[in-house]
Amino acid sequence: MIPLDYIGFNHVYKSFGQTSVLDDFSFSVPAGRIICLIGPSGCGKTTILNLLTGLEQPDRGYISGTANLRISCVFQETRLLPWKTVSENISFVLQDLTMLQRQKLIDLHLKAMGLYEYRNSYPKTLSGGMKQRLALCRAFAFPHDLLLLDEPFKSLDVPLRMELVQQVAGMWIKNPRTIVFVTHDILDALLLGHFILVLSAKPTTTLDTLEINIPPGERVIAEEPFPAYYNHILALLEGRGEHEHA
Amino acid sequence: MKNSFLKSKHIAPLFSLVLFLAVWQFISGFYNPVIVPSPIETWHSFFSLAVSGLLWEQGRQTIIRGFAGFGLAVLAGTPLGFLIGLNQTAASLFQPLVVVLQVTPLISWLLLAMIWIGFSRVPLFVVFITTLPLIIINTIQGIKSVDLQLLQMAGVFRVDKLRIIREVYFPQVIPYLFAGLAAALGTTWRAVAMAELLSVNQGVGAGMAVARTNLETAALFAWTIFLIILGLLTDRLLSYLSRQKLNQWK
Repeated sequence: MIPLDYIGFNHVYKSFGQTSVLDDFSFSVPAGRIICLIGPSGCGKTTILNLLTGLEQPDRGYISGTANLRISCVFQETRLLPWKTVSENISFVLQDLTMLQRQKLIDLHLKAMGLYEYRNSYPKTLSGGMKQRLALCRAFAFPHDLLLLDEPFKSLDVPLRMELVQQVAGMWIKNPRTIVFVTHDILDALLLGHFILVLSAKPTTTLDTLEINIPPGERVIAEEPFPAYYNHILALLEGRGEHEHA
Repeated sequence: MKNSFLKSKHIAPLFSLVLFLAVWQFISGFYNPVIVPSPIETWHSFFSLAVSGLLWEQGRQTIIRGFAGFGLAVLAGTPLGFLIGLNQTAASLFQPLVVVLQVTPLISWLLLAMIWIGFSRVPLFVVFITTLPLIIINTIQGIKSVDLQLLQMAGVFRVDKLRIIREVYFPQVIPYLFAGLAAALGTTWRAVAMAELLSVNQGVGAGMAVARTNLETAALFAWTIFLIILGLLTDRLLSYLSRQKLNQWK
């Protein structure tokens, strides 16, 4: 039995038609940490997030530690409402707040992300990176216990991606809540994750779980143990590594 | 050079209008004015109808009836379209009826309305019943085309259903609704004139009935031109409103 302050998948099975995506999939990690899921494209990472949000239900098994959690999400696509301004896009997900509280919260997050001066602009006038920052803003502003990030930096160039990874780290340091971060980029995972789950191709199994105790934001990727971790994850993803190494 | 002159936004329509008038004038030269009046005779008739006040008085009646029937169809059709688009049970119940409304000939509605509700309300009823399915069908199409990813996003953030309808569905339905309104407006002026022709003694259709009885073909053409101008003006107005509404974010 997994304690309540852990988030876990317990012998979860999930298929779509004849395709088995998760087959007896289990993991458990403590709440309040950043958990990175890394694996090859199409390995079922998004299905794991959909199961966490409740958009999908497991065929068998159960997910623990997510009941009654307020869940926020950044999707692969920005999913902004084009007919709403930058401010209104954030306001859309904020309920049960007075107008003043809402505006304060919006302004706070827009300033933190450097989007305050664009608060009255429509998404069509923003660059790809700004739209992604707005999606992050919306997710951070939404009162949440669990934040899901589904490859949100996939289509961005390296400098912008690094900037946004630092923003996520900064946000977590200010307000440490559970983050499940799906990525296919090893560097992103090493910069952010307290736990890195390396996943196999379908049906998904956990090839290895790495635990990193250096806080996000204080990590120097060029220094040990990161190069070793990098090579280990790369080897696992390429099918060369030994399982359950760390 | 000549081609770019003709392609210019304002010159090409003007050129086609002049060409149309020239062909009309040419053809009218071969026929008695009772069969094909010339553009000049038509203009004279239009002018005398306008000066006598008949054009405005009859036109006003037609415009009021047309907009009343059209407005009622929008008020009833938009929520009905939302209901059918969003609710499977409502779709099973009402969608076949919408198809029946759509395929029933205009003349059947006209004759039935004369029997059911009396002559004076026939134009309004006919406009309502013929434009209603256009509004409903376009609203349903808009709902079916709503971006599922945005709905999923709103679901994850637990946005309440009413706000989802108002703030996610409605803005995406608007372009389809405008397309429905444009089609419905075109139908409105045709339907109201035909209903007036057969059922009442006021309005453009009634004016056309008088012109036909008196063999005043130029007046018949003048009334037709009035309806065309009305259709063009309302269509332009709708296009303008649509652009105003959508250009901000599209």
